[in-house]
Amino acid sequence: MTPRKVSTVALIVALAALPKILWGADTGRIQFENRQKGSGINFVLDNGTLPDKPMIDGIPGGVALLDYDNDGYLDIFFTNGASLPGLAKEGDKFSNRLYHNNHDGTFTDVTGRAGLRGEGYSVGAAAADYDNDGRTDLYVTGFNGNFLYHNNGDGTFTDVTAKAGVPGVSSAGKKLWGISAAWLDYDNDGKLDLFVANYLDWSFATSRVCGSPGKRLSCSPTLYQGEPNILYHNNGNGTFTDVSEDMGISRHVGKGMGVAIADYDDDGWMDIFVANDNDRNFLFKNRGGKTFDELGVESFVAYTESGLPVSSMGVDFRDWNNDGKPSLIITALGGETYPLFRNEGNGFFSYESYKAGIGLRSFKMSGWGAGIQDFDNDGYKDLFTANSHVNENADLDGQQHYRQANAVFRNLHDGTFQDMSDDAGPGMQIRAAHRGCAFGDLNNDGKIDVVVSAIGSPAELLYNTSTGGNHWILIKTVGVKSNRDGIGTRIKITTASRLVRYNHVTTAGSYASSNDPRVHFGLGADTLIKEIELKWPSGIIQVLHNVRADQFLTVNEE
Amino acid sequence: MRAVSLSLLLAAFTAWPAFAEPCKGAEAQLSQVSKALTVNALDIAENALRALSVSYPDCPEIVLHQARLAQAKGRISEAAGLYYRYTDTNPGDSRGLAYFGRFFLEQRDYMKADALSAAAVDKNPDDPAALVLRGQIYLMKGQSSAGQNLLEKAIKLDPDDPEAQFQLGTIYDKAKAAAQAVEHFRKAATLNPHDARAWDYLALNLEVVGDLDGTEQAYQKGLQVNQAGRYHDAFLDYNYGRFLAKRNDLSGSKRHLDRAVESAPQVRAVWFERAKLDMRLQNYQQARADAEKAHACTQQGGVIDLQIYSLLSQVYARLGDTALAKKYTDLTRETPPPVRGEQR
Repeated sequence: MTPRKVSTVALIVALAALPKILWGADTGRIQFENRQKGSGINFVLDNGTLPDKPMIDGIPGGVALLDYDNDGYLDIFFTNGASLPGLAKEGDKFSNRLYHNNHDGTFTDVTGRAGLRGEGYSVGAAAADYDNDGRTDLYVTGFNGNFLYHNNGDGTFTDVTAKAGVPGVSSAGKKLWGISAAWLDYDNDGKLDLFVANYLDWSFATSRVCGSPGKRLSCSPTLYQGEPNILYHNNGNGTFTDVSEDMGISRHVGKGMGVAIADYDDDGWMDIFVANDNDRNFLFKNRGGKTFDELGVESFVAYTESGLPVSSMGVDFRDWNNDGKPSLIITALGGETYPLFRNEGNGFFSYESYKAGIGLRSFKMSGWGAGIQDFDNDGYKDLFTANSHVNENADLDGQQHYRQANAVFRNLHDGTFQDMSDDAGPGMQIRAAHRGCAFGDLNNDGKIDVVVSAIGSPAELLYNTSTGGNHWILIKTVGVKSNRDGIGTRIKITTASRLVRYNHVTTAGSYASSNDPRVHFGLGADTLIKEIELKWPSGIIQVLHNVRADQFLTVNEE
Repeated sequence: MRAVSLSLLLAAFTAWPAFAEPCKGAEAQLSQVSKALTVNALDIAENALRALSVSYPDCPEIVLHQARLAQAKGRISEAAGLYYRYTDTNPGDSRGLAYFGRFFLEQRDYMKADALSAAAVDKNPDDPAALVLRGQIYLMKGQSSAGQNLLEKAIKLDPDDPEAQFQLGTIYDKAKAAAQAVEHFRKAATLNPHDARAWDYLALNLEVVGDLDGTEQAYQKGLQVNQAGRYHDAFLDYNYGRFLAKRNDLSGSKRHLDRAVESAPQVRAVWFERAKLDMRLQNYQQARADAEKAHACTQQGGVIDLQIYSLLSQVYARLGDTALAKKYTDLTRETPPPVRGEQR
């Protein structure tokens, strides 16, 4: 090697180190490792498919990450399908599953003891402590039954659906097809309310058959009428009241799949976004807990920039550009691209899929679960999508694939993202019929992991093994005047190097799934947080100073 | 145009030899002329024909190619006269009927094109030129499987026919089978690099399969050859402008969408697309003007009312015109989204 060549190499090495110097954060690679094998989790989502491929068989299944026994580790709940056309959980293969986290990378199936086997064709799950007793409860949506399971605190749950009055039935008495649900305190009264996103007016009696024999395809949802969503108000005595009509929710009929919550206009009241399949999306703006106005069209999130709906499925509603304004990512089918909407803070959102660099990349993807999470702890939230086409026979179309690999898009700190999926490790190369996914720190190492459910193949436990050594904090909120989970609390942190980051407490988001209630922040190179500001739903603003990084911080409302 | 009894012409079933005696010795040159005309190499064809007509003054084949040349150069009356002359004297030649049929197709006289293409295939079911035209007519009639059969047969007989490759590509394009469409459009564009349509379709389908660099190159090649004439593509700038917008080259996109609204001002889609770009550029006044023009267009180009309402609601909201914003917001809400196909 000549001296000139040596100096060139040295220059390249020096340049490679520049990002760390410039950003103050290590730009290590985002990596995921699937540790399902040997974990004790052998769950396989069974959709009970039939040769005619009825609408229902493409729709399951959700995942919930919840610490049901308060041991500080996230446990995992999976929803499951049922036999068709009977819509019953005949045999163990259709059972929903609860797995207890043993803290060593293994899990134990505790479904039977917990009493969470379930009934009917389950779809989604939403976890939160609705009765403020300090224990996480569970709501499960489904086609022919929604269920509220109260956590008894001894490893068991009790079905309290009837007593609580949350069966997912319309005012006319029709069971609606529940997909996703979200816990939120819409009126800031300290008690968690429940929003249920409902899908289609479909039944086996009205079911259409599409495609040709042996090559059946999932019919378009445009062949069926949509259904209204439901909002249940928590009465504080173990019962709920259906306020869908009074609150302006049920007058908007859509084809709801994903639901996410955020206070998008920073007025102190949580708003609700519903991703509708081939119909305009809904943005329910909360008017001081008194009513909701549906402002999807006015806010420019009802349709894409082309003025057309897509097959909206999963959604997440968080601040991905660190301006303090929650923005949106939505998953859709191949050929549509994933809509990415940036919240401008003036009531408008701008469609930025192409500007942000995910438009052309997601064109060939079909997605369900979705998350806006900082996977490499560099202080910038990245994007994750759980991918698969809805059609089991999608491959008949040369451009589509039923089984797809999941995708991760790295935030490049300038409003754009880079598709890192191919380089994110073997765990991200698994082609499967992925559906719901949930985000959370399974092994308490400060990195956000992902659990993905897949039809016909083992669920994936994607442990985040990203390199880089960036710092982090996970904040658990304990409400006193606010709901005990602190859901709806908006958190702003300012690091020692004056980086300002935002997030909020919610378990809702993704597709039919429920995330870690702890709020995660990547801190880059910062080991100290100068200030943490929490705006509780109660209106209390709490500020903490000089908090060290790399810890699980519990904040009690005061 | 001379009135000729087409029925008489079509009724003649006398087999006509490939090359009549007066053309003996010119076969190879005539074949080259035909190929040159097929790929729009008009100067080569014209020079060769000039020389041939001196050496072989009674060769009828020369008349046929002169007709094709005149057609390609836009000399319509002359072309018609030559076609009539050729088919009068050689009524049994399927190629003559096929090329004459294509002439009528380009003149949008679909009835005559239909009749001549049918007659050409009747006369010689193995004539690629006849099969291609007939296949194309079937496609236009919505009989895609019949059209596909004929086009595939034509390609088997003559894989170097760019029009056959192009037409078959359109079948796959319509079926959203982009990989197969790419295969045929690539062949069509390679065989006839003057065909801007083929480059455009190739680019569109390359984008779908994810070959973005190939897409860019195909557009560039198409733009280089996109001139007035039979292979002109009025939507090339439109499609390239859209592609550039997706790649965040907004100034490049604007340049091409500006050209698109000039070349196809009657089509709603081009104004709509430029209005969307105006919005990204935060040029809301121009967006308003373009969106309103799109609204006024009767030729939709695939853009439905819902899209216009949605765009106008955003434009007027951005401009602070609350009354018009509300009007179009209400229209957006009232207009149901399109019902897509039965299946996903």
